[in-house]
Amino acid sequence: MNEPGNDFRQELEARGVSRREFMGFCSAMAVMFGLPKGATAMIADAIENKPKPTLVWLNFQDCAGNTESFLRASKPTAAEVILDLISIDYHEVIMAAAGHQAEENLHHVVENQKGAYLAVVEGSIPTGANGAYCTVGGKSALQISNEVCGNALATIAVGTCASFGGIPAASPNPTGALGVSDAVPDVKNLINLSACPVNAQNLTATLVYFLTYGRFPALDKLNRPLFAYGKSIHDNCERRAHYDTGQYVEQWGDEAHRDGHCLYKMGCKGPVSFQNCPNVGWNDNTSWPIACGHGCIGCAEPDFWDKMTPFYAHLPGFPGFGTGSNIDKIGFWATIGVTTAFAAHTLVHLGKKFTGPGGDRASLLPPKATDEGGAE
Amino acid sequence: MTPPPPTAAVKGGARPQVAVKKIDVGGIERVYVWDIVVRSTHWFTMIAIFILAITGIYIGNPYLIPAQPGGEHFVMATMKVVHFYSAIAFALLVAVRLVWMFVGSYYARWHQFVPIGKRRRGDVVRMIKFYSLLSKDPPLNVGHNPLAGLTYLLVYALYVLMILSGFALYSVSATGYMESWEFLVPIFGGLQTARWIHHIAMWFILGFFAHHIWSAMLVSRLEGMGLIDSMFSGYKFLPRRWRKRLSLSWRDRDKPYEEDG
Repeated sequence: MNEPGNDFRQELEARGVSRREFMGFCSAMAVMFGLPKGATAMIADAIENKPKPTLVWLNFQDCAGNTESFLRASKPTAAEVILDLISIDYHEVIMAAAGHQAEENLHHVVENQKGAYLAVVEGSIPTGANGAYCTVGGKSALQISNEVCGNALATIAVGTCASFGGIPAASPNPTGALGVSDAVPDVKNLINLSACPVNAQNLTATLVYFLTYGRFPALDKLNRPLFAYGKSIHDNCERRAHYDTGQYVEQWGDEAHRDGHCLYKMGCKGPVSFQNCPNVGWNDNTSWPIACGHGCIGCAEPDFWDKMTPFYAHLPGFPGFGTGSNIDKIGFWATIGVTTAFAAHTLVHLGKKFTGPGGDRASLLPPKATDEGGAE
Repeated sequence: MTPPPPTAAVKGGARPQVAVKKIDVGGIERVYVWDIVVRSTHWFTMIAIFILAITGIYIGNPYLIPAQPGGEHFVMATMKVVHFYSAIAFALLVAVRLVWMFVGSYYARWHQFVPIGKRRRGDVVRMIKFYSLLSKDPPLNVGHNPLAGLTYLLVYALYVLMILSGFALYSVSATGYMESWEFLVPIFGGLQTARWIHHIAMWFILGFFAHHIWSAMLVSRLEGMGLIDSMFSGYKFLPRRWRKRLSLSWRDRDKPYEEDG
């Protein structure tokens, strides 16, 4: 009974998670990574037996929504047990220690486990006013993140704020907020788990992948794991058939909306957003925005607050006409305007030519016969 | 076709003092100006743009909603497929025309678009004067007038913008080699911004189209050289002294014509 695996089983039992449920979780993870059935045993073995890394969780400029997502207030699941078993040595929201004691814990991890611990960053890092907009224990977020992430084995940026700056970095970005990749130039093994908030399923899966393989999952160009961000929302959407058919919601609550048709015309940003929401859902796969009848707002994309707005329009407006303006209307009338202007211009030109001296008029009389022909 | 050399008679020599009066220009010559590649890319590009604009406007704002039940008509899917195939044709046409700017016949080449030389730069000003009603007659140019050439450069820039933003939008759901265009997405500032650029640029192209029709009709009427017809046949009907083009510039339009020696 001394094997670590058995400790884990006891742990599961103590929390009322059955072995069957745990294996179900491992299968779900294997499916998420696109692995064959045999991988389930490998994942289970890794979770049961491999030493869990130390993890420190830094909260900066955000709403703690990612912590909320992480702490999901639903029944304890195998995923939560795994997150609990990972030694979280520092997390401002949930740690028991406070004040200097807490800061000392963080310091110890950075000193003693240099290059071996995982850093999770939540929230953007303000750079304005020399970093004074966000300080913890007398140090600015910029200092802390450079110190902690710079010495970590890997940094996981959870949420769009930590990944790309998110809402704090939205125009006019008063605090000069940046994501981890920009604020910490010497960050190693950065994994961005963007979304507002992060889907706890994706965080768990990233940790399970690391436990199983001892390395980090393949990433896209924005450092997001391909297993979670490799496909657009649109390509996996349950309403995609309505899109291809041409059935669209045109007003909230209209018949098409009640029938669950495509939300494209209501400004759904699914076609330009990448995440696995349609597959894994939210809150233990209870639902997700489009299933609820609300379009995607592209929360996992860089600068979504600036670029995806207005959320209920397909495109931003025409420059100079306000964000709510309709490009097609302006474009149509501008084209009509160009047509009219050039038509008038042409008439003026031809009129001048017609009425001017030696006007270019066709004769009212038939042309005179000449040696070379002519007449009728 | 080789470029006609500038004539000595025009470079030097005082302008003869004669009464300003329309005179006989010495007949008309039928000159082959636009080769088959220029003409065919012109019209096929036009057709492609029409199809792309019609399907593109639908894709941006799907105004046709098929009656229930769904699944019988794949309106959006069809529009997108037609859009994609026309886009391939359009991209190839633009590519052919751009290459033809360097290997094609004389009036197809790049120097028709970039005003190089004093006379062509001067003609830009003369064309602007013509368009702003300060003069009655456009300067004589056998190929594109230099202002039109500059405008077409802008239009080609719009075409390239359309093609690249379209490729960027296509790349993210594509399989195969088209995936490699994904590097363009951050250059356009993300997919949503690429969409917006793609949409606005379409209206600029349609705006150009409106101007192009009217200006072609106007210039065709005033020049009397068969401008619009030339885009079908390739031939323009030029005054016989067109080879001494300098003496036919806007300023010397009414200068007495001397037979070629």
